[in-house]
Amino acid sequence: MSTKKILLVDDSCTARLVNRMIFSQKTNYVLISAVDGKEAVERAHREKPDLILMDIVMPRMTGLEACRALKKDKETEKIPVILLTTRGEEQYVQEGYASGCSDYLTKPVNDAELLDLLKAYLGE
Amino acid sequence: MIGTGNGSRPPAKQESRIELADGNLSPLTGTEELRLRVQQLSLREQIERNHFLLMRLNAANARLIQSLEQVDVFDAIAEIIANLIGSEEIAVFDYHPAEQNFSLAWSSGVEAEALQPFLRGAGMLGHAVELGLSQFRERQPETTLLPFEKNLTACVILKSSREIVGVVAIFGLLPQKSNLEWADFELLKFLETYGAVAIKFQRLQGKQVAP
Repeated sequence: MSTKKILLVDDSCTARLVNRMIFSQKTNYVLISAVDGKEAVERAHREKPDLILMDIVMPRMTGLEACRALKKDKETEKIPVILLTTRGEEQYVQEGYASGCSDYLTKPVNDAELLDLLKAYLGE
Repeated sequence: MIGTGNGSRPPAKQESRIELADGNLSPLTGTEELRLRVQQLSLREQIERNHFLLMRLNAANARLIQSLEQVDVFDAIAEIIANLIGSEEIAVFDYHPAEQNFSLAWSSGVEAEALQPFLRGAGMLGHAVELGLSQFRERQPETTLLPFEKNLTACVILKSSREIVGVVAIFGLLPQKSNLEWADFELLKFLETYGAVAIKFQRLQGKQVAP
C-alpha cells in the first residue's frame, strides 16, 4: 500500500476539493494541502512531500515564486513540482519550466492524465 | 525446480458460457465473446464517465454550500467555472422583473463597463431568459447578439423553481479548451438551480444584516 505524500497547493477551494476526491477515490496517496505559495514552501520544509502539485496564480506568493524558492533550497530541491493551472498560454508554460518545475498541466484537470503523471513520478 | 509452486498442472483455460432463457448454460462463440467484451467496456466507460461527473458535481456543491457561510457566492460560481469547466471570463446579471431588464451584478476577467444593462428578449442572454433555457453559442450560431456578446460561449439562466434570479454569461474559454463538453453542460445545469438558490440565500442574508 502506497504511503507517498503529495502536497496540493491551490487557493481555490473547488480545485482542492475535486483533487482530494480524485486522490481519495482512486489512489492511496496521502494528501496534504496549502492555500498559497508561502504556505507551500513552509509545509514542504516541514513535511517533505514526495511530490508537489501547485497552482500558479495565488495570493501572497505565486506558484512560480514558490517553485523557484523550493528549487533553491537543498532540502526541497529534489521534490518534483508539477504546476497545475488555468494558464495554458505558451508564455506561462515557458515561465513554469524556467522556474524549475518538472511538469506542467492545465485545468480543467483530466483525472487519467493527472494520475498517470503522478504514477510516472512516484513509481507506483 | 522452478515451476508452478505446488507442482500441479496449471488449470485448463475456462470456456466462456452464456446463460440461455431456459437457465441452461451454452458455450460462447468467438463473436459472442467479443460482443460481450465490447458491452463490458462500454458499460465500464459509462460508469467512469458518471464517476468523473459526480466528483465534479460534488466539489461544486460543496463549494456553493461553503459560499453560503462566507458570503462569496459569485466567487464560488467563478471558481467552479474556472476550475471545472474552463473559463475565467464571467459575468453575473441580476434580473429585475418589474422593469423586465438585467443589470450587471458581478464580473471577473471582462471589462465591466462594456457589460451594459439589457432587456429581456434582447441578444442571446435576453433570448435565453425569454425561453427560460440556458443557451450555448455552438448550438445557437444564428442568434442576433448584443455588442458585448461577441465572445459569448454560454448563458446560464439562474432560476429557482420558476423564478428567474439572473443569468451567468460565460465568455471566452481557456486557450487549452476548444469547446464545452458533456460534463460541462451537466455542471452548468447544476449551476442553473443551485447557483440561483445560493444567490437568493445571499440576498436574503444581506437584507437581514442591513439596518
